[in-house]
Amino acid sequence: MSPHASCPTAPLQARWGIVVSSAGIFAAALAVLFLAGCGPSVNRYLLVETSLRAHDPKGADAIIQRAEKEYGEKGQVLYGMDRGVLLQLAGDYQQSNAVLERAEEELDRLYTRKIRTETLAILTNDTSLPYEGDPFEQVLINVLKAINYALLGQWQDALVEGRRIDHRLNLLFDQTQEKNAYRDDAFARYLSGILYESTGDVNNAFIAYRKAFDAYEAIRPWSHTAVPSQLRVDLMRTAEAMKFTQELGEYQQKFPDTKWESRQALQQLAQVIVISYNGRAPHKEDMFLDLPISLDALQLVLLNRGVAQANRSPNKAVDSALYGLNGRVVRVALPRLVSQKSPVPVSSVSMIPENGTRVAANMELVHNVTALADKALSERMTGITVKALARAATKFALAEGTTRAAQQAAGKDAGPLVGLLVGAVTKGLAVASEEADKRSWRTLPDEIQLARVWVAPGRYQVEGLQAGGASDPSKPEAMRTLSLGAGETVVLLQRVIP
Amino acid sequence: MRDRGRIWIVVVLLILAGCAQETKITRVDSGVVTDLSGRWNDTDSRMVAEAMVKDALGYPWLSNFSSAKRRQPVVVVGTIQNSSHEHINVGTFVTDLERELTNSQKVTFVAGKDDREELRTERKEQAIHAREDTQKAPGKEIGADYMMKGTIATILDEADGTKAVFYQIDLQMIDLENNTKAWYGQKKIKKVIERKRSIF
Repeated sequence: MSPHASCPTAPLQARWGIVVSSAGIFAAALAVLFLAGCGPSVNRYLLVETSLRAHDPKGADAIIQRAEKEYGEKGQVLYGMDRGVLLQLAGDYQQSNAVLERAEEELDRLYTRKIRTETLAILTNDTSLPYEGDPFEQVLINVLKAINYALLGQWQDALVEGRRIDHRLNLLFDQTQEKNAYRDDAFARYLSGILYESTGDVNNAFIAYRKAFDAYEAIRPWSHTAVPSQLRVDLMRTAEAMKFTQELGEYQQKFPDTKWESRQALQQLAQVIVISYNGRAPHKEDMFLDLPISLDALQLVLLNRGVAQANRSPNKAVDSALYGLNGRVVRVALPRLVSQKSPVPVSSVSMIPENGTRVAANMELVHNVTALADKALSERMTGITVKALARAATKFALAEGTTRAAQQAAGKDAGPLVGLLVGAVTKGLAVASEEADKRSWRTLPDEIQLARVWVAPGRYQVEGLQAGGASDPSKPEAMRTLSLGAGETVVLLQRVIP
Repeated sequence: MRDRGRIWIVVVLLILAGCAQETKITRVDSGVVTDLSGRWNDTDSRMVAEAMVKDALGYPWLSNFSSAKRRQPVVVVGTIQNSSHEHINVGTFVTDLERELTNSQKVTFVAGKDDREELRTERKEQAIHAREDTQKAPGKEIGADYMMKGTIATILDEADGTKAVFYQIDLQMIDLENNTKAWYGQKKIKKVIERKRSIF
């Protein structure tokens, strides 16, 4: 008698086993092996980082381009995202927009989920699902496009992206019930406001600034980002320009020390916006957990993760899959975020006029990418855990079934030995194919800083700007000369890796 | 043994099913409606152009001008502001409109701001490099009577995979002498885009 005879689902699994020939087992084993090899390669990101440190974003983009096959069909959104950042740093804004646009279109298509892909993910791992990115990453696609258009001086197109950001965020807000969750994007709102104001649409700018302010306040507990002092100034200036006296009064009460210049005065000046991408985005790694399979254990895990009893009813399938494997231990892989924070000194970019005193643009933290990634992962963790457990249970159930089938096929004498061997292979494969979805947008910075400064029209030399923007890659701190007219807005971009 | 054979057939079929996709090209008439993604497309552009031409030729502003001045009005195309959610190429329907109005022999169009710069540079170069009897002199441009300006705006609403997009395209002919608006053209388009949450 087989040692597994007490297992209540054994007869059912033995029945499956009859039609599975040993060749079939091998085919299945091979398929699992191949699929297990579909995980993302992480080495390319090290090469990209080296290129960026050498101030060679074009070379970094070439590395990603060469790795297109590794991204595969399921990584097209990520491929576009990764390249979008690097092409922007290389100064090829049009191409950057083209790849980001493709990524956004692909994202639209991914709204419709394919059941067969979802099933495959249950049998192998989540990396066989197409990469959609976290909501904050999806918003950043439009943010980057808006910055590209602003860098190209195509303000009307930048505003189109501003409107898309608004639409995306409105959808996100409607879908997310929890108050403390990521349901609005402070930086994306702030950037939209800057775009509106720079094109003379003060009313829409005020609304975007106000939304940005509310979002910064709402996410402060987990984003570690204070409301930028520049945003307060922007709020008061636009409220005054629109003659919104009540709102202006409220903000004055909130920040009594904030001083601002009227919009009329600023219209005679030129505006310089400096955007700085600092540090490296976090990455994900596998966290393997050996979990006992039992309804009680699952209950415990779910309770620990704060999932209420009511939420358990849709997981009936999980329960029944687990039922037959009560008492076993399975290995599941969960993603874990590894932050790559390294201190970047608060930088400042100076504008040196041909005659007159220099003007410094002091950078402020506006977007904490690492904190957003951390929040996004923790919000999805419950779902990931439940899915990982269900997957582990399914895989082990299949392994059990296959083992029994092999035992039967081998006959009475060879049965136990074949059972042992096939069991070792199939269960080994079940463990080997277990992998967390470690994909994330890794060409992003750790944080984004921003400065806005208004200067008198004229010619300026920019000092302290780190290469990575359109400047010459051979000169790490290339001096740039700007010629600014009244009412003109110029965007400067820099990449800082400590 | 028969079971084994069947399984192999299934495996081979599955592999082949993955290779069934290939590029297929069909030529269609440019008037065929091809709504693929729900975004602004050639059909929208054509519908706008048709509506605008009908509007422009159907109202009395043209005949009023012609009978008062005894010549065709001269029009320059100004900014068509895109305040929509999409990067729309306004050139396609503006060119359609220009072509229809010019061919109807009722309106004369002159080059817009960007083209003018290029043309002036060409004349300057002619003055240096071209044979004297073929040179075109400066200062002979025709001033426009009207400027055509416009906006494209969208209103977007979306929930649970269903999206409603409303486009409103407004064009107006503004008298360059006194800023009065001589003509209004308008076209509204509404689309509903439904996406399934899951397919097999």
